[in-house]
Formats: sequence, C-alpha cells, structure tokens
Amino acid sequence: MRRTLLFTIALLASLQAMCVARFPKPDFSSGYEYPDIIHGAPHELFWNILDIVLLVGMMGLVVWAAYRKRSRAIIFTMSLVSVLYFGFFRSGCVCSVGSIQNVVLAAADSGYHLPLYVLLVFLLPIVFALLFGRVFCSGVCPLGAIQELINVKNFRLSRSVSVTLSIIPWIYLAFTILYAATRSQFLICRLDPFIGIFRFGGDIGVMSFGFVLLVMSVFVGRPFCQFLCPYGALLSVFSALSWKKLDITEKGCINCALCGVSCPVDAIRAPQSNRTKEERRKGVRRVILMSLLLPVLTFLGAMLVGSQSDALSLAHKDVYLYELLLSQEANPELEEPLEVETFHALGGDMAELKEKVDAVRSDYVFYSHLAGALIGFVIGFKLMKLSLKRGRKTYEISMARCTVCGKCFNYCPQNLKKK
Amino acid sequence: MKKLYRNIAFVTAVFILTLTAMLSMSYYQMRQVSPLETGVLETLKELNETNSENESLQEQIRALDLLSRKAYFVKEGQLKMGIYLLLGMAAVLVTCLNLYYKETKNLPEKDFDPIDEWLTKSRARNYLSWAAIVALLGGVGLVVFQNVGTKSSSDENTLVEIPNEELIADSVEVKIDSAEVIVDSAELKADSTEVEEMPELKISSKAFRGNNSSGKSSARGIATSWNLISKKNILWQSTIPKHGYNSPVITGRNVFITGADEGARELYCYDVWTGELRWTVKADGISGSPSSMPSVNADTGLAASTVATNGEQVCAIFATGDVICADMEGKRLWAKNIGLPDNHYGYASSLLMYGSMLIIQYQNNTNAQIMALSAKTGNTIWSKGAKDRIAWSSPIIATLGGKSALVVMGNPAIAAYELSNGSELWRVECMSGEVGSSPACAEGIVYGASEYATCIAIDGATGETLWEASDYLPECSSLAATKDLVFCATSYGMVCAYDAKTGEVKKEHDLTTPFYSSPVVVDGKVYLFSNSGKAYIFSASTFDLITSFETGEKTFATPAFTDGMMIVRTDKSLYCVKKN
Repeated sequence: MRRTLLFTIALLASLQAMCVARFPKPDFSSGYEYPDIIHGAPHELFWNILDIVLLVGMMGLVVWAAYRKRSRAIIFTMSLVSVLYFGFFRSGCVCSVGSIQNVVLAAADSGYHLPLYVLLVFLLPIVFALLFGRVFCSGVCPLGAIQELINVKNFRLSRSVSVTLSIIPWIYLAFTILYAATRSQFLICRLDPFIGIFRFGGDIGVMSFGFVLLVMSVFVGRPFCQFLCPYGALLSVFSALSWKKLDITEKGCINCALCGVSCPVDAIRAPQSNRTKEERRKGVRRVILMSLLLPVLTFLGAMLVGSQSDALSLAHKDVYLYELLLSQEANPELEEPLEVETFHALGGDMAELKEKVDAVRSDYVFYSHLAGALIGFVIGFKLMKLSLKRGRKTYEISMARCTVCGKCFNYCPQNLKKK
Repeated sequence: MKKLYRNIAFVTAVFILTLTAMLSMSYYQMRQVSPLETGVLETLKELNETNSENESLQEQIRALDLLSRKAYFVKEGQLKMGIYLLLGMAAVLVTCLNLYYKETKNLPEKDFDPIDEWLTKSRARNYLSWAAIVALLGGVGLVVFQNVGTKSSSDENTLVEIPNEELIADSVEVKIDSAEVIVDSAELKADSTEVEEMPELKISSKAFRGNNSSGKSSARGIATSWNLISKKNILWQSTIPKHGYNSPVITGRNVFITGADEGARELYCYDVWTGELRWTVKADGISGSPSSMPSVNADTGLAASTVATNGEQVCAIFATGDVICADMEGKRLWAKNIGLPDNHYGYASSLLMYGSMLIIQYQNNTNAQIMALSAKTGNTIWSKGAKDRIAWSSPIIATLGGKSALVVMGNPAIAAYELSNGSELWRVECMSGEVGSSPACAEGIVYGASEYATCIAIDGATGETLWEASDYLPECSSLAATKDLVFCATSYGMVCAYDAKTGEVKKEHDLTTPFYSSPVVVDGKVYLFSNSGKAYIFSASTFDLITSFETGEKTFATPAFTDGMMIVRTDKSLYCVKKN
C-alpha cells in the first residue's frame, strides 16, 4: 500500500515537471527576480522500458487468451488496460500507428536517428502479426481498444461496400509515407482522432471527428480500424501470412453461422461452393486481365499522383512560405501574412529558401510517384484478389481482417458446450 | 427494467450532445482569446510606455493582468471538469445500452441467408473498378485544368509585357547628363564603411501612403513617443534643400523626397540609417519644360506630388509637368515633359508604380489623362483620356475580385481600370467639388470620400455601391481602411472611424486641429499628424486614442514606415523615428 502511495506521488511529481509556461510571466518593476526553473530529471527511460514490457506482455496475454483459452473476457480486460495506460496515462504517444512515420523518415533521411524504443514499438506488433495475426489490434492498441470498449451493437455495411472502402487505409498510408519521407509533416499524429480525447484537448476539428467515430463505434464495430487505420492495413498483410491461424473452436465447426453474424469487422468467411456458375475460360481470362491491369494501374497511379507533386509539396513549410512570398511579391497591395513578415524580419534570404524549396520539390517528385504507385498497386491487387474463387467447407477466420476481439468465441455453441 | 435503461440512455445521450456543444463553444472561445491580449490591457500598457512614472497605472495593469490570468485558468478548469463529466456520462450511456441490448445480444441479427461470396466479390470488383475509373478521370481532369490555367496565366503575363518592349518611344529626346547628378561623394565616402554595414530594410514604402498607396504598412515596432528636442527615439534629423509638400518614400536603404522652387526642381535621396543626403537629381534640360514656373497656390507648391519607386527606378513629377526617373545610385535614366498642367492650385497627384510601369493621374483642366509609362524608358505603354474634371487626388492599386486594378478618384467619379491596358472596369459617379483626397481599399471594397460630397463604399468586384455616409468628410487627407474600420481625418479637426461594413460612425474625436496628412495603419495602430505637427496614435481595432503629443514642427506630409522606423517630413526637415 505504502509503495503504491509513493509510486502515485512520484507519478504526480513527474507530471508537474512536464508543465510548460504558456504565457509570458507577469512584469515586475520592483526588482523581483524569478527563481530559476528546476526541471525534474526525466524518467523517460523507465517509461519506455515499461511501455515495451507491457506491449509484449499484453500481446502475449492476448495470444494466450485467443489461442489457448478462447476467452473474450481477458481480451476485453486488456482493452481496458490499454485505454487507461497507453491512452490516457501515456497520452497515446508513441503509438505503433504513428511510428510508421518515424521509420519512413529514418529510411528516407540518414540524418534522422530512429530511437530503438520507436523501432520496437513499430516492429513488435508486426512480429506478433507474422506469428499470430493482429493481436496488437485486439486489446493492445488504445485506438482500437477505445472503440471496442464502447461497442454495443454491430450494424454492418454490405461486404462489397466495406471491401471497396478498405482501400482508404492504403491511400492514407501512401500519403503518410509521402509526407514523412519529405519531412513535411506527420500526418497520422496530426489527424489522430482519439489523441485529443486521451489528452483532454487538441484540434477542435480532429477531436470532433474522434467523437463522431466514437459514436459510430457504439453501433458499428471499430470504424477507425476497418476504414482508416494505415498500420492496420500494414498488419493485415503480415497477418494474412501468419504462422498460426486462429480457429473459432477446437471442437469442429457445425456451420451454425452464429460466429459470422457476431464478428464486428466482418472477418469470418462463410462456407461456400461457388453457387454462381461461370465458364472456367471466362474466369481465367478475367484473372489474366487483372494481372495485366496490375502494372498498368501501378503506373497510372504513379503518374497521376506524381503529376500533383508540386501541389502536394505545399504541405512542406518551406514550400508554403516560398509560395506565400511569391504571391506577396505579385500582389504587394495585400496585407502581409505573418509568415512573410517574420521571414523578412529575420532577414530571410530568398535565394537560400529557393534552393531548399528546389530540393524539397525534387524529393516530392520521387515520393509522390512512389505513393501513387502504391495506391495503384493496392487497387490492382485487390481487383485481382476479388477475381479469384475459393471454395470453403466451414466458417473460417480471414486473418487479414480479424482484429482478434474474441467475440466469436462466445457465440460459438461448440465453445459453450466445452465450458 | 428494460424501459428504464432505454430512458436513461436517451436522457444521457441528450445530455451528452448538449454538453458537447457547450464544451465545443467554450473551447473555441478559449482558443480565440489570449488572456494577455485584451484591448484594455494593451491600451494601458501603451499608456504606460508614454508615462512610465504613473504608479497607479502600473498597479492597475498588474491587477488586470492577474485577473485575466485567473479568468483564463478558471475557464480552463471548467472545461476540463466538463470533459470528465462527458466521459462519465458516456460510460453511463454505453452501460445502459449494453443492459438494454443484453437479452438480444447473443441472437443473430439477420436470418441465416448464406452469402453468395462470388456475387459479393463481383460487386466489390465493380465498385472498386468504378472508384478507380472516377479517381483516374478526376486526376486527369485536374491535370488538364491545371495546364489550361497555367497557359492562360502565362498568356496574360505576355499581354502586359509586350507594350513595354514594343511601343515606340515618345518624340521627346532626353539628354542624360551625368554632371547633373550631384552626389556628395566626399561625405558619402567618409561614412561609407559605416553605411555599408547597415542592412537594407526589408519593408518598403514605395509610394504616397505606403506600397500601392494603400495607407497601410507591415512595419512593426514603431515608437509611440519621440521628442525632436531631446532626441528621444530620434535616429536622425536632416534639413531639406528645397520646399515641398510631398511625402517620403522608402526602398532598400533609400528615402526619396522632392523639393522645388523658382530656381530648380530636385529629387533627393537620403540614407535611411544616417539621414545623410546621398544624391540629388535635377529636373532640368527637359525638352518642352516651361521656362517660367506656373502660378500655384502656396498650400500646394511646385512639388506636392510624392515620388514612386519599384526598388530599381524612382520617378518624380513636378507642377511643371516634368517627369524624371533615376536609378538607385542617382543616375538620371530619362526625363520628359508631359505637358504643363492647367491646374489653378497646382499639380498635386502622386505617382504610382506597378512593376516597371509608372502610372500618372494627369490632372488638368483641359486634357486630363491617366497614363502608364515604362519606368525604364519613359515610353508610353497606354494612355487614357479621363472623363472627369480636375482633381488633386492620387491613384491607388487595389485587389478587386482577386486581381490587381488601378483605382482613381476624381470629380465626379471613382473608377477602376485594368492595369494592363487601362480599360475601364467600373465607374461610380458620386463625387463633386474639389476632390483632393485619395481612395482606399480593404478586403476588395473601395472607399472614397471628399468634402461637400460623400463617403462611399464600393464593391470592388462589381462596382456596386454598398453604403454612403456624410458625417465627416476629408478635404486633403485620404482615407485608410482595415477590414473593420475606415479612418477619416478632416480639415476642421474631426477624426472618425466608419464601420467598414455599414458606414456607421463607430468612433469620433474632436481634436480641434486641421489635418492634411493622411492616416496610416501600422502595427495595429493608426498614425496621424495634424498640420500643426501634433502626432496622434489610435488603436486600429477600436480607434481609441492611445497617445498624442506635439512634435514642434508643422507636418503636412504623410509619414512612411519601414522596419521599426518612421520617416516624417515636416515643413523644415526630414526625420527618422526609431526606438532608442
């Protein structure tokens, strides 16, 4: 008890040390001197180690709960712990979703040092996904967990619509890579819908979007994970190739279909024997066409997004400032924006800025082609995948989509029988 | 029991929605407000700068500062409490919904209708294909649109550039005599090392009342008090060789003014850091120039027009109709006489430059014109006969409907012209009498006012009159405008701020002293000089008088502003105000 108390006091003290002055201090003319600010020694190393330990520990627990116990209760408890610790206590940062940007930046810019902690936060969920599927999404990611906790009913979209919408996370990922690699901005951090909720404050627009997503989460299973999360998109690839595949029951499927309707992310595939008949030749022709379409779409995507590299580069602060300066020069009668005024006041050199802008724009040309190619490739690949027929005899989990929430375990009568 | 859960859930949901709306509003308000940037506090701080001995004022500032901080943090605390409440209520809502759906939760939502997966896949394939096609077409359309846009804008540029290159020079041959450029080389040499070290200033004031004659400047850190006797906040003060009512103009390190008398008409360049006269260019030896000076009113003089510069050339005009142009080193590039103006008070309209185009609102009883000359060569780019009667107003460049346009005010009209060819965009006939004031523009709305006529607001995009007022009208002083207020100084001592949207007088001050100089909006304030030389500084947002004091020298010209400096021309001297 005493230890807990001491721990709480130390925690509060460290929170106090994080405070920063937001306004200038009061002016005194009486000769009063402010005492020096004493910063408490940072405890980041301790917290970082704790984060990694908890990350691995919780993912391990989810694996145990899903593969051995088939218990939703444990996974649900993990979600609660994740929201409280990774969400509210650690303010949702660094999260694995956002760590994509650090990794991309480190890969694009040799001058950027990637901390080991961030690398682990990025890699560990991928390693677990390769072994056991998306156990990180299950009850460890605070963004997924907060949606999981408040979900009451599952009103699902038509599968064809949700498959089409699942392209959005890839587009988000492509632009995340583009903006991170060009040092423009960390898009995920800027648009994280739940970070404002975890921190009790943030951009009003993004927070409102977060609230809308939460309200949707009450009636739709994990809308952010299904239709937005770029890290989820990445994990789905590794999860599809995972070493262990998750079974709904050990006792053999009786094709009751209860698990299928229970899944909030529509990850359970029903048994089917290809009811729609079509000529084999026609199917083969379609597959060949889609295979040919894949490089074409990749190329078109690259060309199309690449052609917009100049417009996209406006997200970079130097390019934006340069364009503002040019526009001010063309329209000198307009009131000077603050950025232009500051540039002049600090004795900014236009030629120097131009040089920087040229370098940024050339980076944009390359990375916007890359982002476009990724989008084109994903669309092409999805089209190809949708052209393949596969028979199935029992209800199976699609490892790419499954977020290991464990709902289907409770619905399966075979599992109940076991209990 | 189920009903109870449903009702609690409903009430909680309504509560959450209401609270969310209230918290969002509160949060938005907090984001807008900075506790230490309240108008009252800032005004008190300004007052404290001019009167640092007033202890009760300082106490008042401290008390208000503390109160503002307290109020801010109390509000922040309330917001935080509201968020906790919201989370609590959200937990109640989710719990109630869970309890409400408890009994039906384990039942399938749909009838067992095995999905035909191939059909689903085929549909998804169609949706995705259509989405890709729409995205592709949209992208291609965007690229085409951008290319068309770029092409037309480059065409537009060519249209403006061609006349500069191709138009034939006027018949007036100009002999450039380097001997005419009087450079005080000895003095310049002595201080050259020191002068070279001083940086060129980034913020310019290239025409009468600032860039584009806008009545606004982006300069910051301008002193709000100075004294010409004790030299407090005075960087330098220099004498001016010849008299003139024109206002100073600043670019780089140069300050330009003109002066004239019966003997000579001269363009002067001063160093902005030292006040040293760098060079003088005389307007003489010009073909067509009258041999004797025209008769002019003493209140106008022979050098009432302010010069204009584009940072490479500087041009000046005198009551004789002589126009001269020099480079930044004082080399006369060209000179011509555009005709002796038939003007009973004397020629007074100031020059304006748009890129390398020199614009002259040639005010004349017989053949008034608006002309655009090449600042490099003096060649005419375009010229347009004006329909209006003689006036003493100066042109401005304004952004109307997203495009730069020339706006001139005369009797009886305020009119806007295309800068590239002088074609008329719109014309509103609303003025009468002797129009000496110049127009102003803010947020695409053109404002103009003249004594015995009206004060008018015109939509710059359409030429439609938005409002008219006649409470207070200027005689010589021009208007200055922000998006909220239009400032007006009269020759009978009243100054006022009109509401920019309605024309209603928002604030007025009876200062019982005439104003010929024009107000300039700078650094959130309005600087204004009375004819007697009294400086008035108002808040640009409220038009409250922040401070006023006598400078001791009569001032008719409008000051020019640059980085932390203000250059003022008085009837005797030119001085620079800079915080010590």
